[in-house]
Amino acid sequence: MKKVSLFGLGAGLLAALTFTAEPASAQQSTLDIVKSRGHLRCQLGTPAPGWYMLSDTGKWSGFDYENCRAVSAAIFGDPDKIEVQSVTSAVRFTAMANGESDMLSRTTTWTLFRETQLGLDFTTVSFYDGQGFMVLKDAGIKSALELKGATVCVATGTTTELNLTDYSRTNGLDIKPVVFEDSNVRDNTFFTGGCDAITNDKSSLASTRAKAPDVSIFKILPETISKEPLGPVVRQNDSQWKDIVQWSVYTMIAAEEYGMSSTNVDKVLAETTNPEIKRMLGAEGDLNKGLGLEPKWAYNIIKMVGNYGENYEEFMGEKTVMNIPRDGSPNALWTKGGLLYSPPFR
Amino acid sequence: MAELTHTDAVFTPKPSQPPPPNTVGVVGWLRKNLFGGPFDSVMTIIGAGLLAYFAYGLFQYTIVNAVWEADSYRECLDVTQGAGACWAGVDKWMNNYLYGRYPDAEQWRVNLGGIILAVWLAPFWFEKVTQKIAVGVSAVLTYPFLAGALFLGGDNGLFMQAMSSVALTLFAAVWLNVAACYSGRRSLGAVLVQVTGFAGKDDRLYKWVYLAAFAVGFVVAFIFQSTWNLAPVQTTNWGGLFLTLVISGIGISTALPSGVILALGRRSKMPVIRVFCTAFIELFRSVPLITILFMAVTMMPLFLPVTLNPDKLVLVIVAVCIFAAAYMAEIVRGGLQAINTGQYEAARAVGLNYWKMMTLIVMPQALKLMIPNIVGNFIGLLKDTTLVSIIGLYDILLMVRASGQDPKWLGMHTEPMLFAAFVFFVICFAMSKYSQHLERTIGGGYGRR
Repeated sequence: MKKVSLFGLGAGLLAALTFTAEPASAQQSTLDIVKSRGHLRCQLGTPAPGWYMLSDTGKWSGFDYENCRAVSAAIFGDPDKIEVQSVTSAVRFTAMANGESDMLSRTTTWTLFRETQLGLDFTTVSFYDGQGFMVLKDAGIKSALELKGATVCVATGTTTELNLTDYSRTNGLDIKPVVFEDSNVRDNTFFTGGCDAITNDKSSLASTRAKAPDVSIFKILPETISKEPLGPVVRQNDSQWKDIVQWSVYTMIAAEEYGMSSTNVDKVLAETTNPEIKRMLGAEGDLNKGLGLEPKWAYNIIKMVGNYGENYEEFMGEKTVMNIPRDGSPNALWTKGGLLYSPPFR
Repeated sequence: MAELTHTDAVFTPKPSQPPPPNTVGVVGWLRKNLFGGPFDSVMTIIGAGLLAYFAYGLFQYTIVNAVWEADSYRECLDVTQGAGACWAGVDKWMNNYLYGRYPDAEQWRVNLGGIILAVWLAPFWFEKVTQKIAVGVSAVLTYPFLAGALFLGGDNGLFMQAMSSVALTLFAAVWLNVAACYSGRRSLGAVLVQVTGFAGKDDRLYKWVYLAAFAVGFVVAFIFQSTWNLAPVQTTNWGGLFLTLVISGIGISTALPSGVILALGRRSKMPVIRVFCTAFIELFRSVPLITILFMAVTMMPLFLPVTLNPDKLVLVIVAVCIFAAAYMAEIVRGGLQAINTGQYEAARAVGLNYWKMMTLIVMPQALKLMIPNIVGNFIGLLKDTTLVSIIGLYDILLMVRASGQDPKWLGMHTEPMLFAAFVFFVICFAMSKYSQHLERTIGGGYGRR
């Protein structure tokens, strides 16, 4: 806090210059701010394959970005009214706290500390990740418990590194971590034999593998040594805004459960007799009132962004570089043995 | 005994012996500098071997084994197995490296802005042109507004419109002045006075002529720029080398003037000014740039009302300018210390006041001494601006890193970095060479390499 007080002088001067005694946290709802601004400020990380990707034409896309598109579609009826704020993880929470970003959707793990101490609210889980290990197939290792005395490449300053040391101590493995700041350097070190194994969230291991000169020689070990529930985050104390983001994600999950996708939603709307689907799509009732949105908000999400399965297929599925199998993973619907479960639209 | 004749006494020098063949020419130079003894020879051979090894490796990687046409990094890898560069990806991403996410259709505005600046400053290198200081000052003070209006597009309010009109007027004036100088007149001012028929009149009336001419130019420029209809481009879409140059360019051009003011303030005899300047310099010099950036971009908005909503890029530029000014102030102060007290006393003795003493006697000498340091600082600043990537501005470095995360070009890491290194080298080396040129031309007796 020392630095803050040093700068307090300068900041105070500036605040005085603006002649406003009004504090930054004026109680104006985020929805109103977003509506009057005309676009959503969506915080993503620096590009990561699958999650939030910048193309050579300067367009953003990705699994986490779809959450922002869903919220934009719900509010504006247009999924692309978004200003992307792509910042390093070092400043992600301050950029939320100071009001710069309206929501954060960037592979951020839901933890008790973050939810209670950083002025944030985690809305829901949109992806269940977990830390794992990747090794060379030739090494003949079948389980992470065989990594006794191994050197493991890991990114520094992350929960990944802490999980690794915890796992090593719990199981008496005496793992020697080799830490890296830059993920490219870490991956190249692993490819060129600088470590016996590499550890990261399993989804990231998939993208690391996709970078390798020869993809077929690597194997991701079955153990998952940590829980990494990832999902969108909003500022604390604005429950209406939290509800909007939360239910935008639920809409995509429920749409898949009820067999609605971007291609057939019009047909379903015309033909359905299911009252819950009618309520959801805004044909009956007034579920939108509580959220402060148009009646067609959920319809817009499904029509313009798609259901959860479509997005998974597009960014994480077998045809992508990520190639993360969904069946049997926690990211399957609850009806198929996974953990994805939307509360009822009632 | 033969009589000595007159001719016998004449000394006819023999042509001098040529130097031993192994001390001149290439061979001589090699013997003297590279193979002066056994130790030197061994070191030369080892050094040359290492150099050749790396040069060969680099050549193989960047040229011989490189792939120039591909649609994904995987295709490159299939061809080279990682032994050659994949320039195809760099080529595909080039637009992002240079302009960031600036819309393709609007990139001509960035190019035009660059060209205007180059043309504006070109008269510096014309020998006959007078009033070069006015050229520089007008560009530094008003060009940013014109460039801002051009790059931002949309409606930026009356102030920006007025300032860019001023810029356009001054830009025209600079080139009319060039034309005047090359048609044998002394300056644009002289031509104006002559044309309006004030030539023989009182000198004090001239300034009204200049003002009237400026007013006419301003009105024309204002009408001209109000016909522009540029699509707005938010600063969040600025990026790449363009953004790097915007931030460092503004930082560099404001650093020297503000540094001079701070340095003079620190040496001032007036206690309030001295304490303020000293505190400012010491505060911002003692804090790393990344901290200042972090404070400006993420902490400052906490103290401001939500409605004020300052532009992130503006905050960054202000932070960089403050940082650069604090460093520059100490360089300038160093230069001022180097000027002998006799110079100050002599200036006072001939009756110059403080400002005349500084601008006519002290600063010209001090600035010459400071050139290497100033340019070194500019180069450092240019490279320091890459820190803005941490707070999420897509400068060239962050773009370069982002390109390797594009699924199509996943793993492309070395090639874009080499490209960025090349770009920075070209810019910094050019600055360094220009500073050496300045030292030789204006450094006079001080200029030694």
